[in-house]
Amino acid sequence: MAEHSTIDVDEGTFRGLLEAAPDALVIVEPDGRIALVNGQTERLFGYDRAELVGRPVEILVPERFRATHPARRAGYFTAPRPRAMGESATLHALRKDGSEFPAEISLAPLHTEQGTLVTAAIRDVTSQRRAEHKFRGLLEAAPDAMVIVDGSGGIVLVNAQTEKLFGHGRDAMIGRSVEMLIPERSRDRHVAHRGDFFSSPQARNMGSGLELRGLRADGTEFPVEISLSPLETEEGTVVSASIRDITERKLLEVRMAEANRLKSEFLANMSHELRTPLNAIIGFSELMHGGRVGELAPAHKEYLGDILTSAKHLLQLINDVLDLAKVESGRMDFRVTKVDLKNLVQEVRDVVRGLAATKRLRLEHHVDPSVDFVEVDAPRVKQVLYNYLSNAIKFTGSGGVVTVRVLPEGTDFFRIDVEDTGIGIPPDGLAKLFVEFQQLDASSAKKYQGTGLGLALTKRICEAHGGRVEVRSEIGKGSVFSAVLPRVTAHEAEQGTAE
Amino acid sequence: MSARILVVDDNPQNLKLVRLILSGEGYDVRTAGDAEEALRVLSEFPAELVLMDLQLPGMDGLELTRRLKADPKTAATIVVALTAYAMKGDDQKALAAGCDGYVTKPIDVDELPALVARLLASRGGAA
Repeated sequence: MAEHSTIDVDEGTFRGLLEAAPDALVIVEPDGRIALVNGQTERLFGYDRAELVGRPVEILVPERFRATHPARRAGYFTAPRPRAMGESATLHALRKDGSEFPAEISLAPLHTEQGTLVTAAIRDVTSQRRAEHKFRGLLEAAPDAMVIVDGSGGIVLVNAQTEKLFGHGRDAMIGRSVEMLIPERSRDRHVAHRGDFFSSPQARNMGSGLELRGLRADGTEFPVEISLSPLETEEGTVVSASIRDITERKLLEVRMAEANRLKSEFLANMSHELRTPLNAIIGFSELMHGGRVGELAPAHKEYLGDILTSAKHLLQLINDVLDLAKVESGRMDFRVTKVDLKNLVQEVRDVVRGLAATKRLRLEHHVDPSVDFVEVDAPRVKQVLYNYLSNAIKFTGSGGVVTVRVLPEGTDFFRIDVEDTGIGIPPDGLAKLFVEFQQLDASSAKKYQGTGLGLALTKRICEAHGGRVEVRSEIGKGSVFSAVLPRVTAHEAEQGTAE
Repeated sequence: MSARILVVDDNPQNLKLVRLILSGEGYDVRTAGDAEEALRVLSEFPAELVLMDLQLPGMDGLELTRRLKADPKTAATIVVALTAYAMKGDDQKALAAGCDGYVTKPIDVDELPALVARLLASRGGAA
């Protein structure tokens, strides 16, 4: 409606317009009396039309605001101009039954032959207020600092955590550019980031792998982690950024990395200290057992053999512990080369052939030609396959079959399956398989000697390569152990960022 | 004449073991418990090959290797590192210091003499 319009339509049309309006419309005379209302008004306030017309408009205003209302009304009449909804703070309206509701009211002057009247359009905003309260509540309850930023980088809304984290009052932030919370040197980059986000807004973690820092009011900086999600609003897309201070976590990470380094250093030293005496034990017993220092009685030879077996078992334990420590501390170095998997499988097969032969097991293997060549750390992959194969042989009764299959897995991975026709694993045992020193039961541990570290190590090795391990099994039928590995191992495998 | 070999290790049992293995192969073997003793022995016993533990009290095996390789009188001596320390990079460190070979403990009683024979032969040694 134009600012200076006059009613030039007939009464019927005017009525029709009034009734068609979605809001409650109340037309008020200069002296404050109600001239006209529509049906929405009756429904919204619970009055009949006849109860309202001719009464002061203050009948619709809660008691506590009534005293000041006439003065405000008179003020409006001295300089009437259209005022849209939402331009003023939330107002309150009073129903006939005494209940109140939050209302948004727009006003427009209506010039008629009888003088200037005012049209008030009144809308019940209870549900909007409720949603807004909920939103505010969520915002304030969030454990992170929440900053809502519009498309041009202006801060629209912040929560109390933001004030606490950055040391700025709310008022000092609202309306300012969000770059005020970012160290000067990163601001240009941030503007570009922001542009990228708004060009394809979707929830994401910001700059994973980047060192992001926040700037406090006092000029100090702190490390942050930020996640972003777009919010569609009436004013267009805004972004909600939740910002977390990760100072503590960074400190912990550094301390943990140091503790881990000390641990693996300790293990490495222990390993050295343990190997030194083992060197003499194994060496001398080998010499004697091999008959190189003179003839032995059969019993002597047998017991020397026992010493040798035990010492070698101990050595294997020490080696596995050291390997585990290396993988855990991220010190496992990958030497990635182009590898022919057919040869690799053949080589490992050759190593275990003797073992299989003594149990009269059949060893079969099949390498899919599409994964002949991969880029991996050959010794590590051999170690994985050897661990699986020696386990399969250990747990398969004589006359059984052990099969190695190498297959493509999607476009970027390949899998090594080692299938046996062995004793199988109960379902509740599957989870324990890849955990250190978890041999399934004491009796089988005695019968099937092992270090209890092989599978744990296998899992760590696969994961360090960016792959995974899998197992399925059926009691009495056999098991399939798998390693799923990338066809091309990154030279710098994910080893954490601490070092 | 059989080749002269010096074994350097601070662990008496390991020293004895290596001496036993290599003497059994007919080499002329002397031993030393640390780097200083090794230098003293070498001044009167010009060994063709030195088998040494890298972790020695005082001057360590890497430093001793560097000295031997820097001295014209001993530069041609074959040095084989012997270590129980199996962390990443030890082999490179040994080779960088000038070692000609690298053996990880526990030593294999068959492989050690084979390696020694191979290295001596490659130098046209008088094994």
